[in-house]
Amino acid sequence: MGQRLRGKVAVVTGAGRGVGRGIALLLAEEGAAVVVNDAGVNVDGSGGESTPAQLVVEEIRSRGGQAVANYDNVADFRAAERIIDTAVREFGRIDILVNNAGILRDRMVFNLSEEDWDAVIAVHLKGTFNCTRHAAVRMRQQRSGRIISMSSTSGLYGNTGQANYGAAKDGIAGLTRVVARELGKYGITVNAIAPAAQTRMIATIPAKAREVRAQRGVALPGQRISELPPLRAEPEDVAPFVVYLATDAAHNINGQIFLVRGGVVALLNDPAPIRTITKDGRWTPEEIAQLFPHTLGMDLVNPAPPQPAGESKPS
Amino acid sequence: MSGMLEGRVAVVTGAGRGIGRAVALALAEAGAKVVVNDYGVDVHGQAPTSGPAFDVVQEIQARGGTAVANTDSVAAWSGSERIIRTALDQFGRIDILVTCAGILRDRMIFNMSEEEFDAVIAVHLKGTFCCIRHAAPLMREQRYGRIVTFTSGAGLFGNPGQSNYGAAKSGIGGLTKVVARDLGKYGVTCNAIAPVAATRMTLTEEFLRAREIRRQQGIIREERALARLEELKPEDVAPMVVFLASDHAANVNGQFFLCAGGSISLLSQPRPIKTIFKPDGRWTLDELDRLVPVTLAEGLVNPAPPRQDSASSNERAGNA
Repeated sequence: MGQRLRGKVAVVTGAGRGVGRGIALLLAEEGAAVVVNDAGVNVDGSGGESTPAQLVVEEIRSRGGQAVANYDNVADFRAAERIIDTAVREFGRIDILVNNAGILRDRMVFNLSEEDWDAVIAVHLKGTFNCTRHAAVRMRQQRSGRIISMSSTSGLYGNTGQANYGAAKDGIAGLTRVVARELGKYGITVNAIAPAAQTRMIATIPAKAREVRAQRGVALPGQRISELPPLRAEPEDVAPFVVYLATDAAHNINGQIFLVRGGVVALLNDPAPIRTITKDGRWTPEEIAQLFPHTLGMDLVNPAPPQPAGESKPS
Repeated sequence: MSGMLEGRVAVVTGAGRGIGRAVALALAEAGAKVVVNDYGVDVHGQAPTSGPAFDVVQEIQARGGTAVANTDSVAAWSGSERIIRTALDQFGRIDILVTCAGILRDRMIFNMSEEEFDAVIAVHLKGTFCCIRHAAPLMREQRYGRIVTFTSGAGLFGNPGQSNYGAAKSGIGGLTKVVARDLGKYGVTCNAIAPVAATRMTLTEEFLRAREIRRQQGIIREERALARLEELKPEDVAPMVVFLASDHAANVNGQFFLCAGGSISLLSQPRPIKTIFKPDGRWTLDELDRLVPVTLAEGLVNPAPPRQDSASSNERAGNA
């Protein structure tokens, strides 16, 4: 058992299964006391049971670690406060927050219901805000802290059929960049991970859609992920880098987004202008139309070019 | 009239003032019939009045253009449905949707209330989704459409004091990329603009004060556009929107453009810039301890390094 996080207290949301479980186990293995939060819902957010969080707590304790379970829903502002308070009440402080809880409700945008939009935004985006908001108060007082949130390549690259999930996950990336700049000076770091692993959430994506996405990855410029070797990617593979970000060694890594998949860890670029046209004064639409194809629009590829009518209907 | 959008029907949300107004006027000048939507609230989302939308409609009509007003809130599912329906009822179709409506509730995260977060997410992120959601089936059916959303440097680059706004605007970025891929094959494009312009949302007292402090500290750095924010007009953003709404941009899809005065930039898409790779699987912490500082983390700059003093708790670099 490592010692890197001895004396530290961590909260991991959605830690009952998948990527969150792997993170909770490794944090505990490095000596952190862990609040294992999981509302125990299905992938679509329905239901709710205490078993998943409790099983992970027992697993940690059987290995000699410290953990308590919490079953609150991150999407509720007051419940999120209770999650953070659990760390303080049980272990005296909160040093590490891993925002991992999430659900999926995939649908093409023209069929997406208000309820499927709201549910996904509530758990991912508001849930991440809620926990971050309550942890920030304590971490600022103690002038140290680590916040690691789960973003996704769904938003970063744009996965068809995931308007809600992609919006929530890119929203988390934006939240991460802002909060990193707000809390950095108090000795707190805030980073995001875009994980890829075979979990029950990914398993809900039809094989056909995964195939299309893989092809699309090859077709798009700038999406070099396709050049990475194909790998088995298990949920536990995400944990080491998350735990690394939680250690003292990563004290100056702040406001960054990393992609983690199997044995791959990659730093993602920040958005930045790559080509610019400039004029003293205002452009006209006609001038832009004339210049665009061989300036800004050079090499641009339509990720989903128009197809003739009568193609197969999407899910 | 340039006629670039002759015969097209457009909906512009938040079109009563600022960038939305400039976009509505420019679309009308290019020949489009325009639904001018504005809930008519103040910067914080309070006190709705119908005035702004009707003022812009009159302005368009006075120049010989065609426009109708709508004063629904984009944040409501049924309200946004009525906005899109207004285009259908009045002009028979919808070709162009430009989602400018937005509000601000700036606060450092440790002081931000649930209500401040919810209100900003509701108008920007859900409002953008709602309008797209109601326009999408119609655009898909007619196999033609142009959607232009508004993201922001606040989320792309990270503005202190704007965790709600930054999250909403980055969320719109993610939404834009997914919608581009959901609808592209039906002849619909969806792109985002990150504007920098002097409006009532950006040229605030807080912004001017923070900028002055940064000037005195000599830390204006890469914020040259913000240093001369007053010169960057909302009207400067409109021509790029007109272009994206035209047939000339039929194959421009899923892209982000930064518009500031006479400057238009294509923004990079996320991609790995440094990668470590372990062929046989999972990293150990010992390995990461050794490798990360000399690979992934090498040269990384903490955007807000720890301070020993208890510095002012409420600074903010403007940029909406």
